[in-house]
Amino acid sequence: MKARWGWLILPPLLFSTGLLVATQLLFVRISFFRDLRLGRMDDRFQLANYVAFFTDPFYLDSLRLTVEISALVAVLGLVVAYPVAYVLARMPPRWGTTLLALAVASSFITIVIKILGLVIIFGGDGPLNAALIRIGIVARPIGLYGSVGGVVVGLLLYTVSFMLLILFSVIQTIPRSLEQAAEIHGAARWRVFWRVILPLSLPGMVGGGLIVFNMAMGAFTSAALLGGGKVLTLPVVIQQTVLVETKYGMAGTLSAVVLLVVLLINLLSVLLVSRLQAARGA
Amino acid sequence: MNGRRLPRLLWRAVVAAFVAAFYVFLFAPLVVVVGASFDGGEHAFLNFPPRHLSLAWYLKIPGRYFETLWVSLQLGVVAAACSGVLGVMAALALARGRLPGAGLMAALFRAPLQIPVIVTGFAFLQLFYLASAAGGVPLVGSFAGLAIAHVFITLPYVIGTTAAILQRVNPSLEEAAISLGATRWRTFRRVTLPAILPGVYAGALYAFIVSFGDVPVSMFLAGSRYTTFPVEMFYGMELNFDPAILAMSTLILVGSFAAIWAVQRFLGLNTLLGTGAGS
Repeated sequence: MKARWGWLILPPLLFSTGLLVATQLLFVRISFFRDLRLGRMDDRFQLANYVAFFTDPFYLDSLRLTVEISALVAVLGLVVAYPVAYVLARMPPRWGTTLLALAVASSFITIVIKILGLVIIFGGDGPLNAALIRIGIVARPIGLYGSVGGVVVGLLLYTVSFMLLILFSVIQTIPRSLEQAAEIHGAARWRVFWRVILPLSLPGMVGGGLIVFNMAMGAFTSAALLGGGKVLTLPVVIQQTVLVETKYGMAGTLSAVVLLVVLLINLLSVLLVSRLQAARGA
Repeated sequence: MNGRRLPRLLWRAVVAAFVAAFYVFLFAPLVVVVGASFDGGEHAFLNFPPRHLSLAWYLKIPGRYFETLWVSLQLGVVAAACSGVLGVMAALALARGRLPGAGLMAALFRAPLQIPVIVTGFAFLQLFYLASAAGGVPLVGSFAGLAIAHVFITLPYVIGTTAAILQRVNPSLEEAAISLGATRWRTFRRVTLPAILPGVYAGALYAFIVSFGDVPVSMFLAGSRYTTFPVEMFYGMELNFDPAILAMSTLILVGSFAAIWAVQRFLGLNTLLGTGAGS
């Protein structure tokens, strides 16, 4: 007799798919109704909110800003985390895993507490500015709080450990012997890295970049707290539209746009990578 | 040879400095919070390093921080437990059930990770409004409502970590147990479960952490009376900054690192790493 596990799928499938379908249908549906005052809605099905989105520079700027910040965070995350992941993966395994676990442990701390720390560090008379002025790099305190730069640093802090974890597990699967073989044949180290290691870790880089991009596109806490009400990314605008303005229809439209942009960019990247790999294989 | 060794040493120093800077970036914000919490001066908030050492803020932590912390802890445990049970069921069925369309189902289970969290929060708010309008079930501002949404966003983690381990467990072990006369439940308890337990622990740990740290989903679903700790802290930082937040954050940090230390001590480093990495 074979063990039959199939029926076990039913409770989780009903729970997850049921909620997924219900929530997605609801917010997409509500995005087609115009907001009246005080959270009430018009009962005619129309495109008014979408027209408002694509004709109002406020919303379009917000979308552009959100995509730019998210892309920047993904690229910066790759640049910062790749060298660290490489060093950790090529260390004696005990050390590498311990250092990796240390970084992952830091990501377990609630983001709100980390942002509190960043606000202190970035403060006009905070330790960062004091040090920079003492060394003489800047004359006046630089204000990262309430700027795009501050939000980017906050999102980087929020996402970079995930990037490190993903890149580490990819680089670890690339056998060291590849580097050794190439070096024995006289190839320079950077050349081996450029021609062998980097291409082999490309799928992991794209995967990590996409995960970080998705996280940043939906990230609310860092943008709201470090932006200080001045950096209006779409998640911040959505929260205000729901909780302050109680315009649920418009919030539905904004949510639909964010979701659509995220899905489109993910799809495009996956297609691009499979194209690249197919070209390489041919 | 010396001409080649020097640049190499220099290169190593640069690489080591880069890695060190990375870890400073990760931990400096935490160190700063702990340091500033011990500052008791008049205009004391946000002073690092502290200018007047004092425990004053620790005595002034408002009670609502402890109340909301209790809510968040309960919510995290419930989310981890429910996601744990549902996640093991899903992972077992997907790996062993020979289900038609298993790939599609796996993608459906992963979907909550791809939806921006702010969208999930807003969408659940709409669902709960509808539920209370249709059936009079008040889910907004209730523990049940928060728990349902948290299980939804944390379930993919348990399925992911458990499925990853199940792929490495040989199904013939289970078949052997059954052909030797063990019942299916006994086979699960004595053969399958012990083998996949590390993955379940890792997934449940991630579920707890995602639930405990969540702001965007909980912010929409928590009422004005009933809220979670990170949301309370968010409003505390955004609206009326009270330096007692620093003291409370320090307590949370100490608790978190004690818990992380216990996890790696008793369950191993791989539980922290979610079994995705390490050997």
